[in-house]
Amino acid sequence: MLKSHLKLALKVLWRRPFFTAVSLVGIGLTLLVLTVTTAVFDHIFAPYPPEVRQQRTLLVSFLELQGEHMRSRSWPGYRFLDSYGRGLPGVERMSIASLAGSAFSYVNGTRVRSYLKRTDAEFWRILAFAFVEGVPFGDDEVRSGSYVAVINETTRERFFGSGPALGRSVELDGQDYRVVGVVRDVPFLRLVPFADVWVPLTAQRGDGWRHELLGDMMGILLARGRKDFPAIRTEFASRLAGMDLSGTPYKSAYARPQSLLETVFEIMRVDRNAIGILAVLFFGFLALPVINLVNLNVSRALERASEIGVRRAFGASRRRLVAQFVLENVVLTLIGGLLAFAATELAMRALTASAVVPYGDFHVNLRIFGWALAFAVVFGVLSGAWPAWRLSRLHPVDALRGSMR
Amino acid sequence: MATAAVEQYPARNTAAAAAAIELQQVEKVYRTDRIETVALSSLNLAVAEGELLAIMGPSGCGKSTLLHLMGLLDVPSRGRLLLGGRDMTTASDRERSRYRNATIGFVFQTFHLIPELSVLDNVELPLLYRRSTARERRRLALAALDRVSLSSRVHHYPAQLSGGQQQRVAVARAIVGEPRMLLADEPTGNLDSQMGDEIMALLEGLNQDGATVVMVTHDPRLAQRAHRTVRLFDGRQVQ
Repeated sequence: MLKSHLKLALKVLWRRPFFTAVSLVGIGLTLLVLTVTTAVFDHIFAPYPPEVRQQRTLLVSFLELQGEHMRSRSWPGYRFLDSYGRGLPGVERMSIASLAGSAFSYVNGTRVRSYLKRTDAEFWRILAFAFVEGVPFGDDEVRSGSYVAVINETTRERFFGSGPALGRSVELDGQDYRVVGVVRDVPFLRLVPFADVWVPLTAQRGDGWRHELLGDMMGILLARGRKDFPAIRTEFASRLAGMDLSGTPYKSAYARPQSLLETVFEIMRVDRNAIGILAVLFFGFLALPVINLVNLNVSRALERASEIGVRRAFGASRRRLVAQFVLENVVLTLIGGLLAFAATELAMRALTASAVVPYGDFHVNLRIFGWALAFAVVFGVLSGAWPAWRLSRLHPVDALRGSMR
Repeated sequence: MATAAVEQYPARNTAAAAAAIELQQVEKVYRTDRIETVALSSLNLAVAEGELLAIMGPSGCGKSTLLHLMGLLDVPSRGRLLLGGRDMTTASDRERSRYRNATIGFVFQTFHLIPELSVLDNVELPLLYRRSTARERRRLALAALDRVSLSSRVHHYPAQLSGGQQQRVAVARAIVGEPRMLLADEPTGNLDSQMGDEIMALLEGLNQDGATVVMVTHDPRLAQRAHRTVRLFDGRQVQ
């Protein structure tokens, strides 16, 4: 029966090529926007290397200090993370790393900007970077404050051309660093691992950074499993409740270990209200083409009133008819979904080629294909259910007369 | 109004005592916002198993309405409808659908074939609503098409056939599920007399094989070939 319905669905679509094309354009554009959005989200949040353990990673990315008449909120500093983030129950590893900041060099007389991130040795154990040369710096280099660096392939190319970089020096902000490793480029939008150059936290003049409660660091907590998240958060909150703020104008502190998604929302100031507005916009965006397709379906159904009458006469129940017409609509939206998926691949290639996002490697994959498929099915069911239900309610006699009463 | 006698047609495999179709004081009223139209009024009628019944009358007298009621495509406003002794007056949509699928075959004046489907697929249609395999559906559809002498046209589409051939496909579709009852609404109305005779011969053959056939017609020649003729006028049985 499914084969018969599918065969008929395709033939019905072919009966009115213009209407079908108009429908497909509308469906395809809607699904294209959804699929491209999904692909960008996938690019930012999916557990790609080096963030292969992202599912069990929590980030401490902000600290809010509240005083009597003031409030400070910023990325946390080393002292805060070192004092309150270590030794949490259920945490397998903990790393402290800075945000990627700018560092400048002169290469062949040209000023070059690189993104530099300061990390400890645990950073390399939590994140699975792909090394094309050398190894990461270890505990000894961090402890001794060695001026060593891991660089990405683009930086190697920029400084050393096509040759190897291991053992050679890169100069950043007037400081020479010996290259101990080269890793594959990490996209700019990967908040936690992204940089051009990674150097030890301790490889800097002065140690003021060690005493900062607020700064430009993030704590990376690798839990044993997601089930440990609540205990980690509870213990962290308890530690903050007893935080020693003497000598500061603050009376209380608030911070929370968060997932990457929560962290990005936090950075973008996306709160519950914003999520609500986004949801409304999303469904509004989806609703317009759905309503359009519903109208098209209802008007096209008039041509099929006789068929509905015949099917009812020969024993099709209303439920069967609903299933048939929803299936037909899903076939249409699946075709639109496939077109949208193909167009998404082209859009992703164009986005990658445009280099709007440094080291962006936008592409489609099975996961995005799955989402595109799911969008198409949901879209098909949403836009097909009402017309199908209406058709199924047609009186068989009226339907046989070709009437939509 | 007198109830028509439930005759028996033993030569046509009709052992059951109950009438194939029985209408008791049936009334059908169509209502719109302001207008009420009585299509059938106080109708009592019994059709025996294996009978070939013709329904005649002027346009708008309720012939098709009567056929739709018999075929469970519509429900009476009053009265009772029994099929094979079973009261179907208040049956649910699902029950009616199942009963139609298992027991009733329809032949329409305008054929009502689905233009996008091949002859074979059109004939298979009633079987889609049964638990039968694709192979079984195909076998039964080919047998039905063979019966109406259209084996050579199975992969044609309705638009590629003449009117007579299309109606033969419609007959094949009506009989593919081996229904006990065949309801034909002016089955020859769109055909010339020769093709009309062919279709009538088919219906007679099916009746001789045991099917109860009820046929709405304007054609007295065809009505003469029925076992009995019921005449309607203004929604009432007049003969």
